[in-house]
Amino acid sequence: MKIRFIFFSFLIILFLNCGMRSAECGESESEIRNPKSKISRDEAIKLFTNANENYLQAAKGIAAKNNQEADQKLKEAASQYETILANGFKHGQIYYNLGNTYYRTEELGKSVLNYRKAQRLMPRNADLDANLKLVKNSIEDKELPNEVPVVLRRIFFWYFLLSGKELIVVAVSLYVVFMTLVFFLIILKYGWLKRLMIGFSAGLFIAVVSLGIKIYSEQGVSHGVIITTKCQVRYGPGEEYEPKFEVHNGAECLIEGEKEDWYNVYVYVGVKQETGSKPGAEEKVGKEVRKGWLQKKDVGVI
Amino acid sequence: MRKYVRYFGFLISVAIIFGCIQKTFAEDISLTATIDRNSLTLNDRLQLTLTIHGTQDTSPPSFPSIDGFTLLFGPKISAETSIINGVVSVSKGYTYVLQPAAKGKFTIGPSTVEYQGKVYTSSPVTVEVVDTATSSGSQAPDISKLVFVELSTDKNEAYIYEQIVLSFRFYFQKGLPVADLDYGAPATKNFMEEKLGDQRQYEEIRDGIVYNVLELRTALFPMVSGELAITQARLKCNLIIQQRREQRDSPFDNVFSDAFFDDFFGRGQKRYPVERTTGSITVKVKHLPEQGKPREFNGAVGTYNMDVSMKTQHVKVGDPITLSMSVYGEGNIQTINEPLLSLNNEKDFKLYPAESNTQITNREELIRGRKVFSKVIEPQKADLKATPAIVFSFFDPRAGQYRTITKEPIPIVVEAGEQEMPIQLTLSGSNIASSKQQAQILTQDILPIMTNLSSLRNQGNRIYTNPLFIACLSIPAIAVIASFFVTRQKERLQTDIGYARDKRAHAIAKKRLVVAKSALSRYVPEEFYSSLSKSMADYLADKFNISAASVTGDKAGILLKQRGVGDDIIEEVYRCLADFDYRRFSKDGGTREEMDHSLKLAEQLITKLERQL
Repeated sequence: MKIRFIFFSFLIILFLNCGMRSAECGESESEIRNPKSKISRDEAIKLFTNANENYLQAAKGIAAKNNQEADQKLKEAASQYETILANGFKHGQIYYNLGNTYYRTEELGKSVLNYRKAQRLMPRNADLDANLKLVKNSIEDKELPNEVPVVLRRIFFWYFLLSGKELIVVAVSLYVVFMTLVFFLIILKYGWLKRLMIGFSAGLFIAVVSLGIKIYSEQGVSHGVIITTKCQVRYGPGEEYEPKFEVHNGAECLIEGEKEDWYNVYVYVGVKQETGSKPGAEEKVGKEVRKGWLQKKDVGVI
Repeated sequence: MRKYVRYFGFLISVAIIFGCIQKTFAEDISLTATIDRNSLTLNDRLQLTLTIHGTQDTSPPSFPSIDGFTLLFGPKISAETSIINGVVSVSKGYTYVLQPAAKGKFTIGPSTVEYQGKVYTSSPVTVEVVDTATSSGSQAPDISKLVFVELSTDKNEAYIYEQIVLSFRFYFQKGLPVADLDYGAPATKNFMEEKLGDQRQYEEIRDGIVYNVLELRTALFPMVSGELAITQARLKCNLIIQQRREQRDSPFDNVFSDAFFDDFFGRGQKRYPVERTTGSITVKVKHLPEQGKPREFNGAVGTYNMDVSMKTQHVKVGDPITLSMSVYGEGNIQTINEPLLSLNNEKDFKLYPAESNTQITNREELIRGRKVFSKVIEPQKADLKATPAIVFSFFDPRAGQYRTITKEPIPIVVEAGEQEMPIQLTLSGSNIASSKQQAQILTQDILPIMTNLSSLRNQGNRIYTNPLFIACLSIPAIAVIASFFVTRQKERLQTDIGYARDKRAHAIAKKRLVVAKSALSRYVPEEFYSSLSKSMADYLADKFNISAASVTGDKAGILLKQRGVGDDIIEEVYRCLADFDYRRFSKDGGTREEMDHSLKLAEQLITKLERQL
């Protein structure tokens, strides 16, 4: 009896700990500092509606080849979307529309950045995937395959189809069902409840592990997107270091560390490297080659 | 002769024009009585003006009856004609200067004027004459009566999303120079705001004083239900009051003491900073009624109408038809959703998301506008005869009911397509040799933006601050822990007899004491002492898990001592058991008081034992 009780207590404490950590999934650093929205939903809706109106008018302006007015409207729309987000009101639709707006203003880096942010909140949106694919095809650098294989996507479908918050909801729901079963098992002592409980505990375990991996991939590892037209990846954190290679708007990178105004990054792009001045030397692309330092202002953190 | 005809024609024209003007004037003639202040001292003078609006062709109005004042001079006659936006307005004023003769409240009676057989009367005006000493500073004007502000709404109760007009009015006495206006708008949380027209400026008479009014109007649309507050509005300004110049002896003062120089250099003027705050307003916002809500209702509140048009009526299968659905009317036009298409068969038409264009057509009285939805539909069959019917539902807050506008289907002629073959999408430059015509991708573009407002909720909120989340985590854990302890207790009560007897001993003893109490009330001493003795013996037997028959005073004493019970209590138990047994079997049951004392003693003893065992 005592052992069982200790086991249950341990399980509850473990899950509570996981639940608290998991709640921060999908929130950026700025959101942690400013968890509560400064604007009400109504104000956000009003701004969102106005921004959409501006975007649609810009689309009409582009169709009518009235580029100057379209640019003006797009800038207004982008500013309105940014205002909503800056005030702590986050939604996948806002990031998506902002990504569209930046695509129209030919700021592909910011477009990719916002689509990626939208993807974390709306992981099953086909329109979003299509737009991101189109923008990625338009960027200058040749991208390395950075996506998870389809087989893994099919097997671990819940991980890829659910956002961080949705995984929390699934895990908490499983936890509630599991605890309810434990409750009835203690009171009624039906044998079949034990078998059912084992099934749910397995589900709960998978959900909690998935959640942990999700938190790690979104919070523990920082990803970034190049948001300036072009920038040079250097050998060290400073202008005095030699440029290593050049990356362009929209290229994605993994941020491995930071020092003052510089990020140590691993860039997911193809890099041409001269192995020497020997004629006929083959192009060699190594993992270490893609590592370097980028200025923080050139990188948008997802 | 021709010259006379022209002359005659000119005269007729003039007569017609003047006749019309005369008629216009005659339609709204009024007489007003105004004063320059409604509180003055005995040293002040009151300026009374009787103004006839709408005509200048009347006899002077009758001088009203005035107690407590003497007429100093007047009337000074002034005539005014103005043409604003083609509207001619004329007036004629008769100004009198009066000197108060006594203190107190006086009413300037109504004045009358007769024009074309009709008598027009002005409203009476009340004036207060106070003592010189009580007036607050003869030099400084009483600013509080010169300017004030008001905030009001056209309704105190409204439906959610219904248009409410909020008016802020700034009153300042006519002729008073006001500068540096700084308006602090009220906070209208939970409302959507739209500015209504330009600032309005007009005159209004309050308590006989003519005020210039500046009015700012805003249309508000409540977004939530409940008691919504509109906070105070604030206005700061400077009043420019002309001060009377003091006499100076300097020769230059004589030269420059003219009022012209005072105005030019701004001398003699004093700026009084004034701040005025309105009260706050509470508006009760009601939910839209559930009763009678149409299926097509999509949140539009106001008074709307709808026009539908279409450019092409002869199309081929798959050709686009653009339906132009124009919803117009009064309400928050920006947020209304597109009308619905009533399709008999979903496969008849392929529908594309509508593009919308909003235009506010009128902002003067209320927000009125037009929202045009351009929706592209593609007929998918050749036998289609008409477009789908278009339905738009809205809630009319004036009538308090839902209304639905249905536009009948528009006839169309759909012809079969020329070539019905599956389209193969391929990029140009493909090396597949084929004689069939292939579709080429000319350009690629991103998919449109998302405009779904209903799902727009803040996804950035932390989930673990949600009370439901906390409850979901904590309640099952508490329930499981509680159930664990309850079950364990239950099991022990079932398996451990000594424990079960120990736990139930007090409850059983109490029941026995109730029986004893009943015997006491009936005064049956044998039964009473029997119950008391049994309750004590059973209680001790249960507590020590022994048979009741074996409970004697000596044995109980030993067992209680082993449990660490105090000697005084053991002594008492011993005495009670002996006493109850004696009285149970003896004929002397004792008096009722003695029995009552025994009952109380037993109760106290059991309570003491329960605490110590």
